[in-house]
Amino acid sequence: MIRPGIRRLFHLPPPAGQVRPEDLDEEIRLHLELRAERLVQQGMPREEAWEEALRRFGPLDESRRALHDAARRREVRLGVREWLVGVRQDIRYAGRRLLRAPAFTTMAVLTLALGIGANTAIFSVVNTVLLRPVPYPALEELMVVWETDRVSGTSREPAAIQNFMDLREQNGSFSTLAAFVPLEMNFSANGAEPTRVPALAVTHDLLPMLGIRPLLGRPFTAEEDEAVGQMVLLGEHLWRRLGADPQVVGTTLRLNDVEHEVMGVVPDGAAFGMRQILSAADYGGAFAERDERAEVQLWVPLRPRATTLSRATHAAFQIGRLAPGVTVGAAAREMESLAAGLEALHRENTGRGSSVRRLADEVFGPVRPALMVLLGAVGLVLLIACANVANLLLARGAGRMQEIAVRSALGAQRRRLARLFLIETLMLSVSGALLGLAVAYVGLEQLARFAPADIPRIEQVGPDPLVLGATLALSVFMGIVFGLLPLLQSGCQDLDRALRSETGRGSTAGREKGRLRSGLVMAETALAIVLLVGAGLLVRSFWEIMRVDPGFTTEQVLKAEYQLPESRYPRDFSVWPAWTEVLAFQDALLEGARSLPGVRSVAIAGAHPLNAGFTNSFVIVGREAEASDWPEISVRQVTPGYFGTVGVTLLDGRTLEARDGSESPAVAVINQAARERFFPDQDPLGQRISFWGTDRAIVGVVGSEHTHGVTADAPPAVYVALSQAPSAQGTLLIRSEGDPVAHVRSVRSLVHEIDPGLAVFGIEPLSTTLARSVGQQRFLMVLLGLFALLAVVLAAIGVYGVLSYTVTQRTREIGIRMALGAPIRKVVWSAIAQSGGAAALGIVIGLAGAVLLSRLLSSFLYRVTTTDTMVLAGAPLLVALVAALAIYVPARRATQVDPAMALRSE
Amino acid sequence: MPESLALVKGTLDVLVLKALSWTPMHGFEITSWLEDRSNQTLELKDSALYQALYRMEERGLVSADWGVTENKRRARYYTLTPAGREHLEAETSIFLRYSQVVTGILTGSSGSPEGAR
Repeated sequence: MIRPGIRRLFHLPPPAGQVRPEDLDEEIRLHLELRAERLVQQGMPREEAWEEALRRFGPLDESRRALHDAARRREVRLGVREWLVGVRQDIRYAGRRLLRAPAFTTMAVLTLALGIGANTAIFSVVNTVLLRPVPYPALEELMVVWETDRVSGTSREPAAIQNFMDLREQNGSFSTLAAFVPLEMNFSANGAEPTRVPALAVTHDLLPMLGIRPLLGRPFTAEEDEAVGQMVLLGEHLWRRLGADPQVVGTTLRLNDVEHEVMGVVPDGAAFGMRQILSAADYGGAFAERDERAEVQLWVPLRPRATTLSRATHAAFQIGRLAPGVTVGAAAREMESLAAGLEALHRENTGRGSSVRRLADEVFGPVRPALMVLLGAVGLVLLIACANVANLLLARGAGRMQEIAVRSALGAQRRRLARLFLIETLMLSVSGALLGLAVAYVGLEQLARFAPADIPRIEQVGPDPLVLGATLALSVFMGIVFGLLPLLQSGCQDLDRALRSETGRGSTAGREKGRLRSGLVMAETALAIVLLVGAGLLVRSFWEIMRVDPGFTTEQVLKAEYQLPESRYPRDFSVWPAWTEVLAFQDALLEGARSLPGVRSVAIAGAHPLNAGFTNSFVIVGREAEASDWPEISVRQVTPGYFGTVGVTLLDGRTLEARDGSESPAVAVINQAARERFFPDQDPLGQRISFWGTDRAIVGVVGSEHTHGVTADAPPAVYVALSQAPSAQGTLLIRSEGDPVAHVRSVRSLVHEIDPGLAVFGIEPLSTTLARSVGQQRFLMVLLGLFALLAVVLAAIGVYGVLSYTVTQRTREIGIRMALGAPIRKVVWSAIAQSGGAAALGIVIGLAGAVLLSRLLSSFLYRVTTTDTMVLAGAPLLVALVAALAIYVPARRATQVDPAMALRSE
Repeated sequence: MPESLALVKGTLDVLVLKALSWTPMHGFEITSWLEDRSNQTLELKDSALYQALYRMEERGLVSADWGVTENKRRARYYTLTPAGREHLEAETSIFLRYSQVVTGILTGSSGSPEGAR
């Protein structure tokens, strides 16, 4: 209460105004009293004077309210200003403190960055792939209707067109049932070299059913299903590549040598889920089987006609939208009974049934488990990172006890202290988060590039504002939690004890904290073990996969695929196999390839060894009755050089040879799997196998190829000569000396020479194709391995940190003991024992946890049990080794303590 | 007593500032000073005064502090700040010029500036 005059004299700042309601009333009351007194002095009676004073004042309550509000506003403003100044001070102080301890700060920020970065990356992927809304409205109503084959045991087959037409007509469960067929079309932009573009032939109602509206133009109409002229809808990406002409509707495009009228432009992402459906199918997946990032860019009308293909050919994928009120189960049951009806009517449908599955399950089902595992793994990594940072902070916090005590003694409120520490930890966690975001961004780019192509929407993965916001929020939360830690610690203790304890040596406070830190070390080690075991199992599993003999060799083999357009290579089934143009092309290609330098052997196959190709029903002449129980057999059309080029072993009889030409008797070669299945106690050689209207003599047995991927069983297969059974699509296989990649260009020019309008695609070493076929397993293994490694490194840092700190704190004690003659060993051992013990306990707990949790991985493992001994022994060994190293370094430091120095140091 | 005049809108602030330019005062002192100076002519509602004071305090034209009167009572004293002093000078000169112009118009001859026609 300094008089204003004195304030002004000494240029003192005005105090922070605290106008409380009581003050306001007091001010007003004084005014009224003085007025009343003056009136009394002037002769007015007392009671009247008061009334008069009130009257003169004016509206009392109203003004009081107004004044209160004004005062309050001012108070708030001043309070805010003061707070901001305080915060700015704290930030500067905290920043200085952090910079003065660079080791601590770097380690904390880096640890947080790694933990947060990994989480952000994976969460971005999960968000884009699983959580983002799907381009189709009412996704839960969309179903995929598969055909099943009881005899082959398959459950996800495309349907025959005629079956589709019948089901479409007869069903009552679907408001719309549409179909699509995957294709690839040759397309050359402005006379450039032709490329293969993935396309879908769709029924007119597919796009409307999915809720996709074209950006330009319109979808196909029902009438166009009957029309003759060819039409196409452009994908947005392709349209932009061609110049994004707004007048594109009505122009024509040359596809597969045929003019197609452009009816409109379809937005990107319209083919959501189609790729996954094709991948999930047992066969017929076309471009999806090549596992490239190709997106559907062309949409042509599918004109279902009963006469196009036979009912034995299954090409169409069916999607339907449930009618209102119909459940999945009811739809499934109806489709099953309709399929049974068709089975009774048509011979080709023997053994064929129907199954209905949710589109969402087909698209997300394969990836969701893997992504969940990854999410769990990064969560564990983050926990370890947090434990580490907490440990670091506790170590630092101990060193601040004195500072806290002194500040408190000087009058700092607990709230201000809390704010100071909070700001420090917030600065740490936010910098960690920002660095982590950078890490995540880089990591995401790599991830998106190397991830398997059939993860839905993987190409859309990138930095995401939602994830960014979540990351920053998380970092703020973590900063607050960390900030409150040391205060929780010092909260319950008196100042006195804190002052005396100095840095917590030997006091109860120190011991408690030591226990907490050991506990953290134990937790870290346990979590690291869990991650390591998980990663180890996946590594073992992958190793097992790579050890499987696929039945063919991929070393030094290059493949190149092509599809001959009907316009120049007519496919008249009435004269098959006498397709002159196709045969001529095959011969020319083989000859040209043979003459390439460095080439050891060449072949053409209808489908390369990792392409499942197609199956067909067949009979063995003389055993026709058994045929109804038999699954369809894989038919492989190959040239004689095939077996040598890809290294399929001959087991019996002979392989196909040059003499098996179009004029010679029809022959076939079966594989070991076919022999075991169909000729268990009979010699197949000499038997006759019949399909495609021809009897063929079986002349040889070869080793089985794993054409369905390395992890699946090799299917029974029959090989026929391409010259006796030409195919309009094929793969050229070249075995050469040295790196197959060297021949890519020569193959391209070779094909160009033979047929300049033909697009060659999928040119790559067969080893690459093989590697990609196990892409998902490898992807998961690499990521999990990375996280496990990170976890081990972090845990090691944690162990090192604890012991290092203990040694530093106990320097004085060690010095005393040594001065008193105690053997160094004993002193150091007791320090080691604490952290070593914690680590050991952590390993044990971790192993137990790992055994429990690894059950979650069982669906990803191939020929490896969840309690694989090698992994369960190896993981703890690795962690123990790392922990031992982390302990050794500070322990050595401890033994080198100079007692004199130790006693002097404080 | 001469007829009382209602306060012209907007002039209360400058009058209060003038009062405070002499010395820090509390609310009643300001009122008294104004009443004396105007020979009781000006009608001044005390509540309006306090609102003006609080308003000016928010704007930083005056500062307030608790003090003690001669009779040992607690009162809130208002002081003119440098900003307030500037404001007072500016507003005073504006007001004087304005009243000069208005006075000139109201008391001048009814002819046009170019002379009567």
